[in-house]
Amino acid sequence: MIASSIRWPMVTGDKSSQDITNELLAPNETKPALWWYIGMTLGTIFLAYGAWAFYMSIAVGIGTWGLTNSVAWGWDIINFVWWIGIGHAGTAFTIFFLVFRQKWGASINRTAEAMTVFAVLCAALFPLLHMGRPWMAFFIMPYPNTRLLWVNFNSPLFWDVLAISTYLLMSITLWYFGMIPDLATMRDRAKNKVSRAVYGFFSMGWNGSMISFNRHETLTKILGGLAAPLVISVHTIVALDFAVSILPGWHATILPPYFFVGAIFSGFAMVLTIMILMRKAFKISDFITTQHLDSIAKVLKYGSMVIGLAYAIEIFIAWYSGVDYEIYTFFNARATGTFSTAFWIMVFCNAIAPQIFWFKKARRNIAILFAVSIIINIGMWFERYIIMISSLAQDFLPSSWTAYSPTLVDIGIYVGTFGIFICGMLLFIRYIPIIAINEIKAFRKDSN
Amino acid sequence: MAQKNIVAKFKDEGKLLKALTRLKENKVNLIDVYGPFANHDILKLLTRESRLPYMSVIFGLAAIVLTFGFLYYTSVIDYPISYGGKPIFSFPPMVVVIFFICILVTTIMTVLTFHARAKIFPGKPSSPIDPSVTDDTFFLVLDQNYNPEEIKGWLQEDGADEVTEKEI
Repeated sequence: MIASSIRWPMVTGDKSSQDITNELLAPNETKPALWWYIGMTLGTIFLAYGAWAFYMSIAVGIGTWGLTNSVAWGWDIINFVWWIGIGHAGTAFTIFFLVFRQKWGASINRTAEAMTVFAVLCAALFPLLHMGRPWMAFFIMPYPNTRLLWVNFNSPLFWDVLAISTYLLMSITLWYFGMIPDLATMRDRAKNKVSRAVYGFFSMGWNGSMISFNRHETLTKILGGLAAPLVISVHTIVALDFAVSILPGWHATILPPYFFVGAIFSGFAMVLTIMILMRKAFKISDFITTQHLDSIAKVLKYGSMVIGLAYAIEIFIAWYSGVDYEIYTFFNARATGTFSTAFWIMVFCNAIAPQIFWFKKARRNIAILFAVSIIINIGMWFERYIIMISSLAQDFLPSSWTAYSPTLVDIGIYVGTFGIFICGMLLFIRYIPIIAINEIKAFRKDSN
Repeated sequence: MAQKNIVAKFKDEGKLLKALTRLKENKVNLIDVYGPFANHDILKLLTRESRLPYMSVIFGLAAIVLTFGFLYYTSVIDYPISYGGKPIFSFPPMVVVIFFICILVTTIMTVLTFHARAKIFPGKPSSPIDPSVTDDTFFLVLDQNYNPEEIKGWLQEDGADEVTEKEI
């Protein structure tokens, strides 16, 4: 067993560098199992449903959605915020572990970053379609044009475009540059010409030079340092989309930190779900140990308490403000009225269920970890539903109150993004090393 | 005729480190070490600190200045619009845009500088010293020195698995 004197063993099984290469490249070098094909089929069916919904949204228009004059942001923005939240964990994993010198992230960061990239792609699809004419999306970019107009630089919606595109670029860059040495390993072990050519192209002629490693590490640190404030600001900007409006339930200064914590919380839950599945599928429990899962569960427990506190503060401030509309939204519409079922599902899933992680046995029980990670993701979806719909459907004027329900097209786009995510992740685990091999080797030596 | 270099193969980076320390003490000309992962002790002995962070700071500062200029030109000079009676020149919302553009520009420019400096780019033909260099073996490459036989002796003494001469 390889262990640091001050930390728990993070790679078990006393492995040589060659063992690590062989074990971690096995998913890429052997034929995929039946579950992989089943997953791809399922993902493709989801994609087909999503493609139909996408077609309807463009060919007929967003009148096919369940939006009304009052609820002008519906499933599209709920799901946008949900996906972008999930998309926070990957980069957060990498950079916060980098900043805090937490090496146990080496087993997880590659997959978490892949999850980020696909989740942000899914998220970006919703505002793009919500524009109504996605082919005109470039109008939002500030460039000299024949209309002699500039975009409104003061609008959080424009900030959103900037934030998400910068975040997507940063996530892809961090992900890709981190995997260059591993792609070179795959290139040097490739058994056919096509693989050698493809991995050779993307590994940029990497030859293992320590001088290049030095520059590569410096670049990773710089990108990590740049990404740290970016991660925090992206969800802050998403929160500002709501907070700068005057709607009851949205017009609150707590929204940016509350959204950020929620994003990290849901992202870590999704990381936990994926890591448990991969651990089971590829038998890599020597690299993703129960201690790794235990540590993620602790983060979730802490996140859950912060989220619970944010819910309580929101309700307290609504009462303390003395504003009838705020009081109505929180005490009537959300807690006891039309949206009470969704509200209490949200509270249970996000603030109560993860408290089971106070118990070490629960943190080390794979079934409980998996169940709670799914519960959190359901809860976080309901949180976005509550924020979005309860405030819009019942605002200041009872005469404009309306009910909201999604259409098959709305649901189709959401299901379609699951198709993108599932197929993307399955292709990732098929063709790219799922764990940063070179980091694990270096770290194994460091901790020895 | 191309010059031949001394190449020492090490499976154990502890032994490589020992050899490297002795070579550095004896002021032997080193070219590089190739290996499957970054070992920080080797990096410290072999390389100096990268100057990439300084370039990033310059890119970041340039991006801040240029973005502010751009926003001032578009919002105040070229197309001034009054949003709900707010001032034409409003700095706080500019901070957000400047912040994101700064990160965007710094990321792109730093990555490009890395490519230029490390001379690696997508599609570059690969020529690893040995296929095992990306798996589990380190290779220490030395320049022509005045006492090659003595150096080979040291390397073997320090535990090199193989010492050869090769054109690199």
